[in-house]
Amino acid sequence: MAASLSQRLDLLLRTQNDDGGWGYFPGKRSWMEPTAYAMLALEGRADQAVLERAWRLVESWQLPDGSWRPGADVEGPGTWVTALGVHLCCARGQFDDRFTRGVRWLLGTQGREGNWLARLVSMFQPGDPDNDTSHHGWPWLRGTSSWIEPTAHAVVALHMAASHYAGVDARVRDAEELILTRKCCDGGWNYGSRRALGIDLPSYPETTALALLGLQTRKNDLSKEIRHARGLFEQTHSRLARAWLSIALRNLGEETAPPDNEPGKDILLAALESMAHPDGNGNAFRVPVAGSRA
Amino acid sequence: MGLVGVGAGAGILSVEASRSGDGVPEAGPPGKSPVAVLKAASYEEDLVAKILEGARLCGLNVRGKRVLLKPNLVEFDSATAINTDMAVLASALEAFRALGAAEVRIGEGPGHRRDTLGLAEEARYLHGIRDFEGVFTDLNRDDVRPVEGFAGERFYFPQSALGADLIVSVAKMKTHHWAGATLSMKNLFGLVPGAVYGWPKNKLHYIGIPRAIAELNRTFRNTFALVDGIVGMEGNGPIQGQPKHAGVLVMGRDLAAVDSTCCRIMGIDPTKVEYLRLASALGHVRESAIDQRGESPRAVRTNFELISQFRNLRLA
Repeated sequence: MAASLSQRLDLLLRTQNDDGGWGYFPGKRSWMEPTAYAMLALEGRADQAVLERAWRLVESWQLPDGSWRPGADVEGPGTWVTALGVHLCCARGQFDDRFTRGVRWLLGTQGREGNWLARLVSMFQPGDPDNDTSHHGWPWLRGTSSWIEPTAHAVVALHMAASHYAGVDARVRDAEELILTRKCCDGGWNYGSRRALGIDLPSYPETTALALLGLQTRKNDLSKEIRHARGLFEQTHSRLARAWLSIALRNLGEETAPPDNEPGKDILLAALESMAHPDGNGNAFRVPVAGSRA
Repeated sequence: MGLVGVGAGAGILSVEASRSGDGVPEAGPPGKSPVAVLKAASYEEDLVAKILEGARLCGLNVRGKRVLLKPNLVEFDSATAINTDMAVLASALEAFRALGAAEVRIGEGPGHRRDTLGLAEEARYLHGIRDFEGVFTDLNRDDVRPVEGFAGERFYFPQSALGADLIVSVAKMKTHHWAGATLSMKNLFGLVPGAVYGWPKNKLHYIGIPRAIAELNRTFRNTFALVDGIVGMEGNGPIQGQPKHAGVLVMGRDLAAVDSTCCRIMGIDPTKVEYLRLASALGHVRESAIDQRGESPRAVRTNFELISQFRNLRLA
């Protein structure tokens, strides 16, 4: 195994908390997001007991309404990390009541798109992407608007869930449309706002990667966007962005250089960089081919 | 109007104030608030000495206290005036250590970008501030504790912010396309953890930006402001505006008074800025209630360009 991958996996194994989860940094309290990514990165590469301890903690974080809380110290309500909970159920092949309740929560959650004025404009100017409130994605937490990152994660999770839960397809299609309407003029995506006060906003590399993960079953339409993502990968100095871009581009059949620096202390980053590695679990975000709709 | 501050190393504040014709309360806290305005033509000047002088003018005592410096770190862009300049942050670190603080740390939770350390590298903090990683906390991903009664509900905040004896808002002097201006009070948005509320922290937008600013400043009462106005941003701030040289550092314990003074320097009428109207029970907005020390705001006033939506804010 390459040193750059084993260093990162070792870091994950060394920093698992006593409760079974991972914090964002060593010695910190456990959160759902780094725990989920660490579990996906370590799948098949760690003693099963490590993953079982983590899963028991994740199970304990599911709330009665089916959602997942974001971390050990946050009682609720559940947030976007519910998509990661469903993703983990699918990765483990665990299609039980926990999975069903998680999917149901995702399907019952959508962003509040725009204010009353934006909705009014959308009614009278259908098709205008700057005022399009007709599509629904997912918010970071209920009662707020849809954004690219939580939408991409929910789309990936629901694609994975589709063969075990009927009726997700229309919602996934609509969310993919939302991602497409939020595309910036430069061909990538930022957090989810293409223009502000009439001025084009630039895309970000990390959210471009996540958008491409959300759109991975529509890759035949995305050659321009993939080229843009490739350019971002070459330009950005952000390790987080390079990790996400590498995972997304590899899912789309593109080669990327592995990380060549020390893993540092950021556990979430170490997990993503290990999945971004050519020999890592990069296919953890690949959705089943059967779901493709080019 | 009644406001009660809670938690957060917070002094409890209870203010009842009657309103004048322009909607700004006649009285904020008792007495006048000192605000220091110090000229600094460039980032090459001795900014440590300036900050020490400002702290002295404001009567600030941090001996034995745990201090958290909260810069305004927003975007990957070292070429414009989006972020608090590294020289100001590094000088603040040195100055607060020299003032006898028991601990001085730096913490920030950017609103849009998730790679906080990457942002810090681009802003030259990582390599320009010695042992930056050793003193820095990503507030978006810190451990959290709940605070009851924030905008009427339970809200989670970073342990590093709640545990600090003093939070220093090391803000940037900028116009803001939704709030009119972003200064020391709005800079506290970075205390809201993205790990709970996301990127952007859209929950604050639904609460309403002016109200959220007031609520954050009601929650975190042990604060000090240090505004980097050496080069600020005008026009379509806080990200897409143009650099504007104002040549000042503005400091004070009363953040509303500091922001009001900054507004006057920028040619903005603070009594017309909604968040300052909402927060005016927490601190002083009226000129007559602010004890200006150092330079007079009038003497250093330089009008910042305002986008059309905010032209009505221009100070007469």
